Amino acid sequence: MRMHSGLGGRVDWTFVAAVASLVAAGTLAMLSAASTTIYYSAILQKHFIALTLGAILFTLTVAFNYQIFQDQSKCVYGVALFILIAVLVVGTTSRGHRAWLRFAGFSFQPAEFARVLTVLVLADLLDRRARQARDVSTVLMALAVAAPVMFLILKQPDYSTALTFLPMITGMLFCAGADLFHLLLVFGYGVLTLSVPLVYTFCQTRFPGAAAGSLPVLVLATSKMGWATLAVVVCLGALSAMAWRMATWMRLQVKPHLFLAVPVILSGSLLTGVALNRQLKSYQRNRFVAFVAPHTDVQGAAYNVIQSKVAIGSGGAWGKGLFSGTQSKLGFLPERHTDFIFANLGEEMGFLGTSLILGLYMVVLWRIVTAARQARDRYGYLVCAGLASMFAFVMALNIGMCVGLMPVAGIPLPLISYGGSSLVINLWSLGIVANIYARRYALL
Amino acid sequence: MNQVSVPRERLELLWWVIAATGALLGLRLFQLQVLDVVEYRLAAERNRSQIIPQTAPRGRIYDGIGVPLATNQPAFTLIFIPPGEGHIQQDLEPLARELSRQLGRDPIALQETLQTAVREESAVRLAENLPTRAMFQLSELKTIYPGVELIVEARRYYPYGRFASHLLGFMGKMSPREWRELKPKGYRADARVGKMGLEKTFETELSGRDGGIRMEVDAQGRLKRVLETIPWETGSNIHLTIDAAVQKAADDAVRKTASGRGAAVAVDPRTGAILALSSQPDFDPNAFLSTDPEEVKRTVAELPEFNNAISGAYPPGSIFKPIVGLAALSGGRVKPDDDFWCPGYYESGGRIFQCWEHKGHKRISWLMGLAHSCDVYFYQVGLKAGAAAIETFARDFGLGAATQIPLKGEKSGHLFGPETRRKSKKGWYDGDTLNLSIGQGELTVTPLQMAMVAAALSNRGTVWRPHYTQKIVYADGRPDYVQKPERMSLVRAPGAAWDQVQEALQLVVSSGTGVGARVPGLLVAGKTGTAQNPHGDDHAWFISYAARRGEPASIAIAVLIENGGHGGAVAAPVAKKMILARFGLPDPDAEREVRTAARAALAAPRLPSLRPAPAGTPH
Repeated sequence: MRMHSGLGGRVDWTFVAAVASLVAAGTLAMLSAASTTIYYSAILQKHFIALTLGAILFTLTVAFNYQIFQDQSKCVYGVALFILIAVLVVGTTSRGHRAWLRFAGFSFQPAEFARVLTVLVLADLLDRRARQARDVSTVLMALAVAAPVMFLILKQPDYSTALTFLPMITGMLFCAGADLFHLLLVFGYGVLTLSVPLVYTFCQTRFPGAAAGSLPVLVLATSKMGWATLAVVVCLGALSAMAWRMATWMRLQVKPHLFLAVPVILSGSLLTGVALNRQLKSYQRNRFVAFVAPHTDVQGAAYNVIQSKVAIGSGGAWGKGLFSGTQSKLGFLPERHTDFIFANLGEEMGFLGTSLILGLYMVVLWRIVTAARQARDRYGYLVCAGLASMFAFVMALNIGMCVGLMPVAGIPLPLISYGGSSLVINLWSLGIVANIYARRYALL
Repeated sequence: MNQVSVPRERLELLWWVIAATGALLGLRLFQLQVLDVVEYRLAAERNRSQIIPQTAPRGRIYDGIGVPLATNQPAFTLIFIPPGEGHIQQDLEPLARELSRQLGRDPIALQETLQTAVREESAVRLAENLPTRAMFQLSELKTIYPGVELIVEARRYYPYGRFASHLLGFMGKMSPREWRELKPKGYRADARVGKMGLEKTFETELSGRDGGIRMEVDAQGRLKRVLETIPWETGSNIHLTIDAAVQKAADDAVRKTASGRGAAVAVDPRTGAILALSSQPDFDPNAFLSTDPEEVKRTVAELPEFNNAISGAYPPGSIFKPIVGLAALSGGRVKPDDDFWCPGYYESGGRIFQCWEHKGHKRISWLMGLAHSCDVYFYQVGLKAGAAAIETFARDFGLGAATQIPLKGEKSGHLFGPETRRKSKKGWYDGDTLNLSIGQGELTVTPLQMAMVAAALSNRGTVWRPHYTQKIVYADGRPDYVQKPERMSLVRAPGAAWDQVQEALQLVVSSGTGVGARVPGLLVAGKTGTAQNPHGDDHAWFISYAARRGEPASIAIAVLIENGGHGGAVAAPVAKKMILARFGLPDPDAEREVRTAARAALAAPRLPSLRPAPAGTPH
């Protein structure tokens, strides 16, 4: 049997080239964006160490059989939980997040690592439950497996990263063949939960002087854990019971569990949404404000988004040239080498640069989907589907934030933003994809 | 090959969702970076640059021979641009001490300002509108302390102060309405604009485009570097027809009269060009630009807005008599040597009409009638000529209609006569004719109109449209605008009638009521007037024109002194000063005044003696 001899021929070189180009573009953007910070040399040092580490991990991962992760699934899950607990116990706090593990002079951010591990664990679960794919129990089990990981990340607290789990899980369940109605419920739950603070903020900023008894005031009352919330939950239950009675009386062919599921999902999402709303920190609340009413507070929360749009827009078609962006070099653009690096890139490299980056992302995603299509087993297929959903959502969220289409979320742009652990983990996860593709013929 | 059963169509669907998301982001990037690039470029430029503006010089205003009437003074503004690095921190204290001495401000406050500027790395304006003498001392600091910069700005300056102030106008802060209108034209919020007179009328031409120092700043407002120095663009210059000497003589003379209120207008009878347009009380336009806000407030509160020369409508009184005479003589109804009898009054329709000379002028004809302004003579002449003829002549002379001079607030006055009465469906009586004949009744005129009448009397009938612009020299290289004389109307009368009228007018000055305006060596003609004023003392009038012998008249004048009393005593000397100024002759009165003042200064201080008023002053 050929072990390594034939592997080179099966590696997806298009994919590798696209990933390398993204990393190169990211390095270039980072070199420029970080040049104004006083930690420039330290940042460069860390970046190149992470880059080397990531490249090694990528190569090693391509060489090893990915199925080992399925075999050691329990172990993988254990590692995910362990590092997240460890970070809560012995982690370092920075900017209000207990998100860093420090050892031997390196600091490591485990949330993204845990996210990829969750993809591996879920892929194993969904693979083993292939026969019960359409069963609601599969959906519930998948959520149950992901829930502790998400909970630990929320404890840091890192809402943005936890948020990225939802589309990732939904994408995996979708590709695993879950019942669309179940997915709709799960998705609806998530969307409704998030919409509670959004609607709350909307009513608060747009109708500040609404009269008592008017709709905005009722919404505001409902959004605070109290009698109004309880009344809405009770009403939902009552309405559902009435609908059920009506349906039976009219002998409609409707599944009875619908009348239980819908009110449970609605009131459940309302309650979690209300809980989330109460938990929001002021800067997180301001992100909602900035999204709902971007021009209410130009110097405050909306400042970042406006400056980001100005940076990207002023770049024009060809850009102002590397190291020449006024928005980023004069400090108008915030977080310019981390979360808003895409805006820095847009300013200095113009539409040419941004469309190139976007194009490279689409190539990478296309190759991940291709790897999924050609994977030799269901596990590989699911891993690729999960990673594709994850990368696509994170990319859309970050770029969408930079161009003002999405609310501000503190997540880095994969492979581009500065962040050692993020780069290493992303390269490692893409290595798994390359491995799945390379082993598409079930010979090894 | 792939025997595992997976829902591949779902993967394809997922891919389409991802591709659609990518396409959406691509479109958004296209929108921001290609479609809306201009808007965002501007926003980025606004972000990064800060301008220390420099006020551009306004266009100058010159008189007819190029004497500057409104110009600009360099005003020095002291700014402090913190130099990048170095040992400036310890220099701040001596610098603050030095500046406080020069500027008269609290040294501690100044030092704090400087320290803030250094800490924030931003430029500050330390003082504005510094006087020239402060500049020399401060420019020495510039060499000692880095970062101290003097920038030159232009500030409006009126070299003559209280001079033609109603004509020139003044500058001031914009009203909210003006700000709304001018903001799109690139005006700064602190810009001053013309608020009155020519400054307002020619705001567009006079205002230049401000320059400044454009600096790059970072998000914290810290100064990074100077991007460029934007040069200013000067405004367009305006050359007026005003003769500064005549204007000054008029302003000073009217101001020195007893009431101190009135107007004096001088025009060139050959073109209708205004040589002087004076209205008293006036103001000093420089006071509006004072650095002391209290002074500005006070000046604005006390501003005499009313321009008597164009907005004041007064009964003309006897200065209307030349028009009556011309109407009568040119119609042939009255011969110059027709004798009339003046017993001191005239009876008409059971009413008694007085002559100003209650003793009566006895037997009197044209020349003496006008020279002594005999009312009874003109009652009879007016009746002979007919009110309709007088009205027609007065209308031809431009009375009862605005001259359309491009200045705000011009009044048209009021002409009355049989025709006007017919229009308003009222009757006309002989008593009205008598009132009209001596320029009383409902008749009102402006000093400007009467100056044009005086000009028409001198040039035999040409009534010009008054103008004050000679030319506008545009700063942007457009060809100059040159004002051409425009004839408003022509008074038609036989040459013999003009001769008679002009001879009589000369007689008024040489030996009649207007001797106060006599200038040896010049041919001066004129007519005094004392208009009855229901609200108080009579208004004093004098119209006049003067020429070198053998030349056409080069100045025509109308002087009005409110509540001044007798025209010959009060208004004629004002005209005389203007005539002297026009012909460049020394003013003996002024010399006498100087000598008196010198004697008074030498002698022991004592109360000024009241000089007796000149006796026997007729109309």
